[in-house]
This record gives sequence, C-alpha cells and structure tokens, in this order.
Amino acid sequence: MGEMEQLRKEAESLKDDITAARKAVQDLTLQDHVAGTAVVGRVQLKTRKTLRGHLAKIYAMHWGTDSKLCVSASQDGKLIVWDSYTTNKVHAIPLKSSWVMTCSYAPSGNMVACGGLDNMCSIYNLKGKDGNVKVMRELAAHTGYLSCCRFLNDNEIITSSGDCTCVLWDIETGSQKTVFAGHLGDCMSLGVAPDFNTFISGACDFTAKLWDIRDGQCRQTFGGHESDINAIGFFPNGNAVITGSDDASCKLYDLRSDQELITYQDSSIMCGVTSIAPSLSGRLILAGYDDFNCNIWDSLKAERVGVLSGHDNRVSCIGVTPDGMACCTGSWDSFLKIWN
Amino acid sequence: MDVYCSNNVLQARRAVEQLRLETELQRIKISAAAEQLVQYCQEHRRADPLLTGIAASSNPFKDKKTCVLL
Repeated sequence: MGEMEQLRKEAESLKDDITAARKAVQDLTLQDHVAGTAVVGRVQLKTRKTLRGHLAKIYAMHWGTDSKLCVSASQDGKLIVWDSYTTNKVHAIPLKSSWVMTCSYAPSGNMVACGGLDNMCSIYNLKGKDGNVKVMRELAAHTGYLSCCRFLNDNEIITSSGDCTCVLWDIETGSQKTVFAGHLGDCMSLGVAPDFNTFISGACDFTAKLWDIRDGQCRQTFGGHESDINAIGFFPNGNAVITGSDDASCKLYDLRSDQELITYQDSSIMCGVTSIAPSLSGRLILAGYDDFNCNIWDSLKAERVGVLSGHDNRVSCIGVTPDGMACCTGSWDSFLKIWN
Repeated sequence: MDVYCSNNVLQARRAVEQLRLETELQRIKISAAAEQLVQYCQEHRRADPLLTGIAASSNPFKDKKTCVLL
C-alpha cells in the first residue's frame, strides 16, 4: 500500500471522527430551541438615498466606522467615497486597473484599499498632506485575482484571492506576514471577527474556514454548501458565521459546536447569493441575490421576513452600518441604495 | 465534493495533519450554542434599528422637511 493510499485512508477515518464528534453534541436543533419563539414581524425598509455616480457595475462597498462615509468600487475604474447622509462624493479615486472586485475602508478612516484582476491590493491614503488621494502601497504577491480585503488597522490588511490563499500583509513594508493556505478552490470572501483575533474565508471548494490571525492556523472547516461560497460574515457576537452561496442558500454555522445550525432557503429562490450582512442584533440576515433582490431573513426562525427590491440588476454587495441604522446595497445597475 | 483529496503526497500529509487538528476541537452542545445565539438576539433587540424601526426625526438618512411660513 503506497503512502498516498495510507494517507487517503487516514483522512477518511479522521473525517468520520469529526462527523461523529459533531453528532455527539447534537442534543437539540436550533429549530427545537426556538420552537416557542415568534417570527419577527414583516420588515419593510424603504430606499432613503440613492448614490448615483458610477458608470458601470458596482462590485463592492464597505462602510466606514462612523456609519456615515462608505466606499464603493466599480468597473468604471473608480473608487468613490460617499457621504451617505448627503449623497455627496467625498473622494472619486481613479484606479490604475478598472477590473476591481473588492474595496475596504480602514477602521481609522485614514485609508481605503481595493483590488481585483490585477492580483494586487492597492492602499490609498485619504489624509495626505496636500489633500490629494494617492496610492500609498501596492501589495503584490497573489497569483490570482483579489476577491476581498479587510483592514485590521492602518498597518495590517487581510486579502483573499483566486489563488486559493488568504494573506495578512504589513502595509508599511509591503510584505506578506502570514499566508493562510488550505482552501482547494478560489477564496471568494473574508470576514474579520469582532475581536480581531480570527477571520473566516469562504471559497469555491464549497467550504468556509476559520483562521487564527496570529499563528496562521486553520482552526475549523465548515462544509454543507453545494456550490461556491460567495459571501461570508460573522454573527455580531463573534460565535457564529453566516455564508451565502451559489447554491441559492445561506447558512449559519456555530463556531463552538463546530457545525451548521440552520439553512436559509426557499424553493422559490433559485439564484445565487452574492452578498450577506447581519443586522446589529443578528436577528435579521440581509442577503443579496443574482435575481436583483435582497432578501431579509429571520436568523433564528429561517423565514423570509422582507425583500428589498429596487435594483435593475444583480445586487453584488451589501453592508449594514456599524451603528445598525441602515443597510446599503450595491448593484450591477451602477447604483447604491441606502435602506432603513 | 471531497475537499481533502489530493494527488500530491505533501499536500495529502498536510491535509491529514489539518484533519487531526480539527478532530481535537472541544465542541459544546448545540443546546448551549443555540441558547447563546437566542440570548444575544434578545439582549440587543431593542438597540437594533432595522428591527425596531426608526423615528423620522432621528433617522439621519431621511430628508428633514422644513416648513416655510409664507
């Protein structure tokens, strides 16, 4: 028996052990636990603002920590920083490469980042001395497209890539501090835990992985989806993860019991989920879909309690403000809408 | 999809190591996990504007209409 065969057998055996360990803690289901809880009432959000200015598909948006400014990225080759209260454009940043797929706002508000088919993560300083926004750093090392990026602080950013890895970068030196390898398919999305100690990634191998930021280890792997995971986020308490997939469903995985607790799906929904975000309390999950809509789910009862319709093309990105006051959707129709 | 299958021996060894690590995780009962999720939602329910609704006067995204006395 060759080593490969031996390893394969051992892998199968370990997988069975994990399945058994997960089963062993299934004393109850989430559905049982919330059987006596009422579904939340119908959630009807209205479009309060429409942010107009992009000339092509919007691929990504991210709120600043002040819950007022947000950044969006479009394949018209621009990053726009918006004042969402007034709809004014605070910055319109022309990009070297128009094939942008992601953007991020630093928690400090001092920087934004973006990247895409150029395989790089470009960092822009918004608070330069002369008032002009310039490229501060170009983080290059990925051998595939940049699908997502999230700042930890002004000197560290995590990126996910079509090369199947995620990377923690030192922005000052432009070097890779840690490479998180393990996914067997393109990494499509990432989310940082509220305590900044871990992050999660969703990939085209249909799994989500939880990573320790400091030691680079993959701590947990979650399966169950039947297609690419396009969107991922943390439940607000940091103990659960929500995912959105091309298999038309969203799932909630609990980190401490190490398994899926609930699936959000409906037989009438047959298109992929592109984006996902929880409301402040976690009770609502907002998910953007390929069919131009955004569905609002009761996270505990797994029932659809609202719809956001208004876009004329795919909803590609969604974000809830840190203060929970509003949700922003970005679409291939080139508009961003603010809802509450 | 078998996420741990590979043709490369080194990759296969790493995959087995990773699986060993994941097997050792301490898991809590779902009843406890579910309780914590529900509790968190309950505790923060009132502070969730998308759930409770927002008064027009305190909604920063709603245009405030001013009355002009002619």
